[in-house]
Amino acid sequence: MSELKEQTRKKARLSVYFNKRLASYYWERLKKHKLAMAGLGFIGFLILLAVLGPFFTQDPTYSDFNIANMPPLGFSRQESVYDIKTDEFTTTVISGRLDHPLGTDSKGRDMLSMLISGARISLLVGLIATGIAIFIGSLIGVLSAYLGGWVDNVLMRFTDIMMTFPFFLLLVLIVFLFGPSLAIIVVVIGLTGWTGAARLIRSEALSLRTRDFITASRALGASDGRVMFNHLIPNVASLIIVMSTLSIPGVIMAEAALSFIGMGDPLSTSWGTILNAGQHTLDTAWWVAVEPGIMLFLTVLSFNFFGDGLRDAFDPRAII
Amino acid sequence: MRNYIIKRLFYSVIIAWGILTVTFILLRIGPSSPVDRYILNIAARGSDVESVRQAIEARYGLDKPLLEQYFDYMGNLLQGNWGWSFSASMPVMDLIGSHWIYSFQLILLSTIFAILLGIGLGVLSAVKQNTRFDYAASIFSFIGISIPNFWLGLMLIMAFAVNLGMFKTYYDTSYSIWSLENLRQLILPVLALGTGELAGYVRYTRSSMLDNLHKEFVTTARAKGLPERTVIGKHVFRNAMLPLVTIIMFDLGSVVFGGAYLTEIVFGIPGLGQVSFNAIFANDYAVVVAVTLISTFLVLFINLATDILYTYLDPRIRYE
Repeated sequence: MSELKEQTRKKARLSVYFNKRLASYYWERLKKHKLAMAGLGFIGFLILLAVLGPFFTQDPTYSDFNIANMPPLGFSRQESVYDIKTDEFTTTVISGRLDHPLGTDSKGRDMLSMLISGARISLLVGLIATGIAIFIGSLIGVLSAYLGGWVDNVLMRFTDIMMTFPFFLLLVLIVFLFGPSLAIIVVVIGLTGWTGAARLIRSEALSLRTRDFITASRALGASDGRVMFNHLIPNVASLIIVMSTLSIPGVIMAEAALSFIGMGDPLSTSWGTILNAGQHTLDTAWWVAVEPGIMLFLTVLSFNFFGDGLRDAFDPRAII
Repeated sequence: MRNYIIKRLFYSVIIAWGILTVTFILLRIGPSSPVDRYILNIAARGSDVESVRQAIEARYGLDKPLLEQYFDYMGNLLQGNWGWSFSASMPVMDLIGSHWIYSFQLILLSTIFAILLGIGLGVLSAVKQNTRFDYAASIFSFIGISIPNFWLGLMLIMAFAVNLGMFKTYYDTSYSIWSLENLRQLILPVLALGTGELAGYVRYTRSSMLDNLHKEFVTTARAKGLPERTVIGKHVFRNAMLPLVTIIMFDLGSVVFGGAYLTEIVFGIPGLGQVSFNAIFANDYAVVVAVTLISTFLVLFINLATDILYTYLDPRIRYE
């Protein structure tokens, strides 16, 4: 009997966070947003690429200088070689080959495998760092709004300080001091990127705090923890989801920018790293700079579209 | 109002002091020391490294306990002495004084470009809501927000400098700041940096205009028989600009060491961003702390200025 009670209780607790009917209602609304669905489609494709891609492509770090700077399939480039014995230039046309469909870079590494490796890094960094940032942001936002008083004051002044910090400078500084590893990059972006979320969630929670259902649950004797976790957080959940989706692009860009200036993890191939190499071969091998940029752009665009669609789907006032 | 400003200034000083302290400690507990670069030279010449290191550290007071160094630094700072740059071998203020103009011109021009074009496009697309122009503008703004500015910079260099030969591929410091050639070579950097901001302003202007277009005072203005130009230009536009002031000011503060730095790197512009990042890599703590402090004060000043500006723009707002 008590076991059954425990089960229903668990179910009830979960249903605060996940409601099947509500979820399908939001999904129906989201489906009408064409750009959001296109974004979701590309994100799905990217995840598939990142998970399955490495099984079908070669090692992204394998380099073969004999096939350096090979153009993508369907493109060709001319290469002039000076022969010192005959004192003549011989010009050969190099065209793309099927075994390197997206070409190779100046060290003869396969672009396709490098881009897939970059997709893994970007998604990994984007998801984990955003997770950390949103977790801290929600916690600080809700605590600050609900407890108020000196807690609110201290937390918000702390947020102010973090917000005023020149973000990218801090990022480069910490990565320089502690060494450029992927783990450090993820943690630092996560630990510095929560300020916007904290403020937004605080203001949302502040307006919820004075609502009748919160007062009612407190009058019924609910503890602070219960009010926060069963009433406040579920009601800002949609905001948290939208915020998370819309902060992923910023995180992905920050990682790419770090790798682009040479502060990325030297042991992994990310899109920024490829771009860094590609900026020196703009005249001979344009694809090395173009391809990772397009991937980065499409990824960021997709998350922006998807996040925008989510916001509209969650907003009861939005007409879809 | 006066009390409010004094309170805010007091907070600003506290925040700036907090940031200064964190940066100072971060840099001084780091694994490398600012004298390392001298030591490397001396080691190459085969002298006694340790004694030279001690001599240099004693010369600059780096052998004292961290706390004492901190108080020394603070004391100097309060007297207006910003310290000595080890990597540039000149006073920090001279170093910053000779480089800030490059950042300033880039940020100023790209902000003007973004504001003028962004607000113009935003107003037009709100007035022509749900027309083809509106859709095109909103697609453009999504693209502009999602395109990484450093990659856009690279693509612009590739297209207009490498392939078409319309510009130099690097920033030429031999031109005077006020010359026409200098203005011309800033076109690509301004486009690269400004496009993202521009796209943001299009979106915000559009949604802010739409919020106001259907308010009652607009209906009143139309009912009075005012021409559409006056209704849009005076009644809607002025009210719609209010929230935009915050966004533009916030951008101004945050762009300095975010987007502007990457643009400086891509185009080789020797601005403050480059100075500060080179200083990080050389562990030149005085420069890093100074630049962080300047950026912090800039942001704090801009925030305060925004709030004060608001009371003039919107008389309904009062601070106690």
